[in-house]
Amino acid sequence: MNRALRRISVAVLVMFLLLLINVNYLQGFDTASLAKDPGNSRAFYAAQNQYERGSILTSDGVTIAASKLSSGSDAIKYQRYYPKGAEYAPVTGYDTLYSQTGIEQAENSLLSGNDSSLDVRKFIDLITGKTIKGASVTTTINSAAQNAAYAGLAALGHPGGVVAINPQTGAILAMASYPSYNPDLLAVHNGNQIVTNDNALLKNPAQPLINRAINGTFPPGSTFKIVTSSTFLSQDPARNTQTSVYSPTVYTLPNGNSLSNNDGEVCGTGTGHTTLIAAFAQSCDTTFANLGVQLGNAALKDQAEDFGFNDQNLTVPMLASQSNYPPLTDKSFTAMSAIGQFDDTASPLQEAMLSAAIADHGTLMRPYLVQQVTASDLSTVQTTTPSVLHQAVSPTVAGEVGQMMLAVVQDSNGTGFQFNSNAEGGLVIAGKTGTAETGQASGLDDAAFTCFAPYANPQIAVGVIIQGGGYGAAAAAPIAVQVVKAYLAYLRTK
Amino acid sequence: MLVFAFGLIAFAFANVGYSLKGRLPSGLAEYMAAFVVIMIVGHLAMRRFAPYADPLLLPLAAMLNGLGIVMTYRLAAQGNLLSAPLTPSATNIQILYSAIGIGCFVAILAFIREPRVLQRYTYTLGAIGIVLIALPALLPKSISEVANTGALIQIRFGSFTIQPEEFAKLALAISFAGYLVAKSQPLALVGRRVLGIGLPRARHLGPILLAWAASLLLLVFESDVGTSAVFMGLFVAMLYIATSRTSWLLIGFVMFVAGAFAAAKLFSHVGERFTVWLHPFTTANAEGIAFQPNQGLYGMASGGLLGKGLGGGQPYITPLVQSDLVFTAFGEELGLAGAMAILLIYGLIVQRGLSTALLVKDPFSKLLAGGLSFMLALQVFVIVGGVTRLIPLTGITTPFLSQGGSSLVASWMLIALLARLSDAARRPPPRPIQEEGLTQVVSIQ
Repeated sequence: MNRALRRISVAVLVMFLLLLINVNYLQGFDTASLAKDPGNSRAFYAAQNQYERGSILTSDGVTIAASKLSSGSDAIKYQRYYPKGAEYAPVTGYDTLYSQTGIEQAENSLLSGNDSSLDVRKFIDLITGKTIKGASVTTTINSAAQNAAYAGLAALGHPGGVVAINPQTGAILAMASYPSYNPDLLAVHNGNQIVTNDNALLKNPAQPLINRAINGTFPPGSTFKIVTSSTFLSQDPARNTQTSVYSPTVYTLPNGNSLSNNDGEVCGTGTGHTTLIAAFAQSCDTTFANLGVQLGNAALKDQAEDFGFNDQNLTVPMLASQSNYPPLTDKSFTAMSAIGQFDDTASPLQEAMLSAAIADHGTLMRPYLVQQVTASDLSTVQTTTPSVLHQAVSPTVAGEVGQMMLAVVQDSNGTGFQFNSNAEGGLVIAGKTGTAETGQASGLDDAAFTCFAPYANPQIAVGVIIQGGGYGAAAAAPIAVQVVKAYLAYLRTK
Repeated sequence: MLVFAFGLIAFAFANVGYSLKGRLPSGLAEYMAAFVVIMIVGHLAMRRFAPYADPLLLPLAAMLNGLGIVMTYRLAAQGNLLSAPLTPSATNIQILYSAIGIGCFVAILAFIREPRVLQRYTYTLGAIGIVLIALPALLPKSISEVANTGALIQIRFGSFTIQPEEFAKLALAISFAGYLVAKSQPLALVGRRVLGIGLPRARHLGPILLAWAASLLLLVFESDVGTSAVFMGLFVAMLYIATSRTSWLLIGFVMFVAGAFAAAKLFSHVGERFTVWLHPFTTANAEGIAFQPNQGLYGMASGGLLGKGLGGGQPYITPLVQSDLVFTAFGEELGLAGAMAILLIYGLIVQRGLSTALLVKDPFSKLLAGGLSFMLALQVFVIVGGVTRLIPLTGITTPFLSQGGSSLVASWMLIALLARLSDAARRPPPRPIQEEGLTQVVSIQ
């Protein structure tokens, strides 16, 4: 028996030697390759959660994302939370253990404190014994405008988006999307819970995760007549708002089909011709379809692109979805494109950019969402300097289109007359309504509205699109007006 | 020795507290007091009931037990990202189980004064062992399944669960020893010789076939590959010790490998263990079946030579790190140095057990000591080898370190049996009573 026992002992010794050798291999030699393995998330978690993440603020100082020490036995030291929840979700995005969206993603390295531009400050904090924190991001969002935008969307209950821009700088004052979601749902620290919540949001038919303000694109409808008018006025200096344009009650498209105005309305006085400004205020489809055919697809496309259409790389800093103006050869399709139908699409951001360019004498400023990044010692890490995206139209043409947009709201024939300065307590708004047929049997048309105010001294440009909202003046314009009033009221109190 | 273990565990506790919260853990004094009292009770019981027992056994086991409690505390204090975190009371529960374990340790030493007594219960313990193993497979899944794993290895009473196989292993080790001592002569007989190896006679293949069948049943019906391997290994090793016939080793090994291979082909849950072992880092496996073991490997790699320090690593990334993969948490936080130290502690316990087996005279005790020591070694080999990818990972508990009661209590019972056996081995022979007669003065006239 002892001989067998000794042999068993040798076998046991070999087993333990194998274990020891293997542990040595694993922890002594294989560490580098295991650390580099794509499945290894330890370094990621360590870097992502090493410091307290910086806050995200509105320009008027409202905290919309912040971190606090986790409670209880949480594995991750800091808990991210979103005090304003769904209202600001399109701005903040979310910060999960695995990924980020929105500002959380775009400014991740600064917020998390891992950006190289913070190295010197981190070193100083280290030797002075201060707790190292990520940098804070101050957005351009104005909380008054944002509140009005989200409240308006939520009260209406249709899917849609709102963007408000400062026309002089391009600073985004409001960015709201409905329906939205509470980012706190995805900031939990249990992986399984994150996946469960994420799946529930992904499968929700209302698609709350989509930021409709910059990533929802809808047919712009008649708001596109701003582009068509701009093309028409830019081509010949002799043309102006009083130029007489062909405005039949029924227009025969080049392919023989006929196009009537909304509800078969007569355009102008019914002579078949009217002034450009009258056709614009009344939003005559026949007039602008005919103009589209005359101007041609190429000219319209160039003008649309100067307003920001067909831009695949526009970042605010989140990537905005491309608003589309299609290259066409068929004249009948061009006619439909000229009135914002067919394959035209625009995001609420694009709608706001149309008005912003007109309000700023034809200069389209690059829209941006991040005002400033501030390190934990309150020193400024970076500040955004406004820059020009395009000269969309000449100041002259911008003035003329501005007059026409003024007529839409202030002229009794205008489609937006209900928001005239008498009705709005002296506030003079200039804008353009849009009602896009979506071709879907169920539901109403998509409602769009773009405007700027005050007309004499533009402070804000707003774009609103409501999916299935019906008439632009009925569904979209009231929200835009509320945003304008909320922001101007804020400016007065400052 | 015991005082050294106490100091080490107290230091480890303080380390966790400072690393996670920047201060001494709030329950340090209570936890340490309970731990010290429990171990001193064990120590005094051993002095009283088994005074000649190997003095190293208790401190070594106490050190592992203490490390297990510290790691439970450390993991409970930080939660887990991907699995349900340990509750804050987990540390208390682990200490309670340590107390129950020491209670069983004391009871075994107190009631079993002579190891040979156990030989009488060869068949009773054998039957109990088989029933304990079969029980989870026979009970409804709702009672016996470990949530979402498919493994049917526990019995649940409300929130309390026990894993009967942990105790079955001990019962069967004793039973095997009794049986093999009784039958070692016929089993050692050589029938035919093939390739220079003496094969046993066909009719003596019965017991090994039975053990093999039982271990395969475990494998297939309870999805418990690890225990099945330990069980088979235990039986074969004891058979070999009893008969000194190499042929038994070969037969047992070949049968287990054949069985495991067939099972791998037939049952996906066995087959995927091999897939995980061979191809852990392919994208599909890394995000699927190999995710958990990979996290353990990453953890050990991040620990490197000296480790991240208790509380400094990220074991919270590894799902359910407190049970099967607890060794990787030690590897991560104590580094290669700590991992090797833990392996050496196990090695020392096994070595003490095996030297007891060599020392003890009675064949039953010899066989039992050898079997128990080998079982402990095999269990450590299977689980540590598994989590370090030396062999395919099969989920069994890490003796003394894993969070959970049955394993801890059964491990203490194993130490109690080894202590009893070593006491018997080292006890000085009784003094002959006739000594007086030799000093009689005889007067010759």
